[in-house]
Amino acid sequence: MIRRDLIPTHRALRVWVRHLIQYRSFYLAEWAGNFGEHFLYLLAFGYGLGRLVPSLNGLSYAQFIGPGLVVSIAMWTSSYESTFGAYSRMRIQKTYEAMLSAPLSVGDIVLGDLLWCATRALIGSILMMIVLMIFGLIGSFWAVAVLPIIFLEGLMFGSLGLIAAGLAPNFSFFSFHFSVVVMPMFFFAGTFFPLKGLPPWMQAFSEMLPLTHAVRIVRGLIIYGHADSFVWHLSILAGCTIVFMMAACAAVSRRLVD
Amino acid sequence: MFFLSAYDIDTQGLTKSFGDLKAVDGITLQVGKGECYGVLGPNGAGKTTTIKMIHGAVRRDGGRLNVLGMDGTSHSREIRERMGLVPQEDTLDNELTVYDNLWVFANYFGISRRQSRPRIEELLDFVQLRDKWDSQIKTLSGGMKRRLLIARALIHKPQLLVLDEPTTGLDPQARHLVWQRLRELRRQGLTILMTTHYMEEAAQLCDRIGVMDGGRFLVEGAPRDLVRERVGEEVLELRGVEKEEVSGALDGLAIDAEQAGDTLYLYCTNGAPVMERLMAAGKRDFLRRPATLEDLFLRLTGRELRE
Repeated sequence: MIRRDLIPTHRALRVWVRHLIQYRSFYLAEWAGNFGEHFLYLLAFGYGLGRLVPSLNGLSYAQFIGPGLVVSIAMWTSSYESTFGAYSRMRIQKTYEAMLSAPLSVGDIVLGDLLWCATRALIGSILMMIVLMIFGLIGSFWAVAVLPIIFLEGLMFGSLGLIAAGLAPNFSFFSFHFSVVVMPMFFFAGTFFPLKGLPPWMQAFSEMLPLTHAVRIVRGLIIYGHADSFVWHLSILAGCTIVFMMAACAAVSRRLVD
Repeated sequence: MFFLSAYDIDTQGLTKSFGDLKAVDGITLQVGKGECYGVLGPNGAGKTTTIKMIHGAVRRDGGRLNVLGMDGTSHSREIRERMGLVPQEDTLDNELTVYDNLWVFANYFGISRRQSRPRIEELLDFVQLRDKWDSQIKTLSGGMKRRLLIARALIHKPQLLVLDEPTTGLDPQARHLVWQRLRELRRQGLTILMTTHYMEEAAQLCDRIGVMDGGRFLVEGAPRDLVRERVGEEVLELRGVEKEEVSGALDGLAIDAEQAGDTLYLYCTNGAPVMERLMAAGKRDFLRRPATLEDLFLRLTGRELRE
């Protein structure tokens, strides 16, 4: 039987509010930094490196890579928040301990953290999309439909990060999480180069990465305003997210309740 | 699950093990409404584990645990809605100001920002931190942090307040301020359960105490009665004297003698005749004083170091 305290309730929003209050003190500096970073990324890869890349199905390299960057920024932001951020709240600042002495449960804390990871992923991606807009790389009004997809992606990587935070004996454990979980998806999910034409084993590997499916939906929506096999990709994303969320609850509970 | 009980905390045969270690070994603890109960015990006695079971951070292995008339496991959330906890470790939100700490915590209880405002002002006055409301946590002293933790635990007007070593590490001024505040809360009718290392603290604040060691309660009762029954009224301390040297001189008097290092402790009901005999035997270097909880504690739990 599933323990009652692992099932999240609406109280998760109270955890989310705490994170938001804390965010108030540094968001402006972060937004400015992120914006500049995104700008440089697009210039260097899209236009610098892009000069060497032939047209891909009629798309310039900047057009191709823009949506890929939107998706990877969401992944990185959510992964940082759920590993280093959550670990520090769990083990160093004892923020979770305080929450558990109030009427919040492990499930509320996990869901609250995940909502927050997804919120930050969303903010990072929106900033990137603004940069894309400035460069004229958004092809359709339907690009706004990527926002819920990005939020879902944020929940998914937040869950993976919380699993790592629950298992981690110290901060250095996270370099393992980033090299085994985050980096392979960063490089092989079709973000920087098309998967078509890769050796079959590499294509098969890429198909197994949940990020690949996010990239396909987001690229389709941003450039053309629609995505092929939308329901299929979305089901994979949602399915992975639910499974990872349950694992995250179990991993965090292991750390918080004796 | 709800039933009427005279006790706000009511446990029977409560146990918890960590691996081979029996941290809490079948304790019965009953704290009445409006009572202030102190749990004394050396490090590792099981005090903190007991407190953690009461507020649900540790799940019990066995026994009965009722808090505020509700089962400790199935109604953990409802219990926490009506109890306040002051933890041993500082769990304040270091990234928020004093005021934000309190309102964010009020929000955990579902109290809105507007509703919480007057309560926060009242509490900051109560713990004398009103002028610090906009300060960062890292700029506060240890005593201020502890007072803020107490204010935080009271934000939702709990019926039961549980404190784990509320004054450990504080200087005397800060400690006395915390004591005053706790006495005030007791007057207001709050039920209080606290652990402490400080005998004076227990003697000053608690209606009843229990001495815990090895996961069990050794004795329980009103501090004064316990000292009188278990130790006596007075203690004479003799430095540099062995038990054998004075045993002849003290023959026939109802006293308990205990040797510890270079000191001989004599526990008795009336110190006057003992003193006369000692003087007659030529032992003039001694200290006569009233028996305290500390004597009781050391007699019960021994004098070897606990780490």
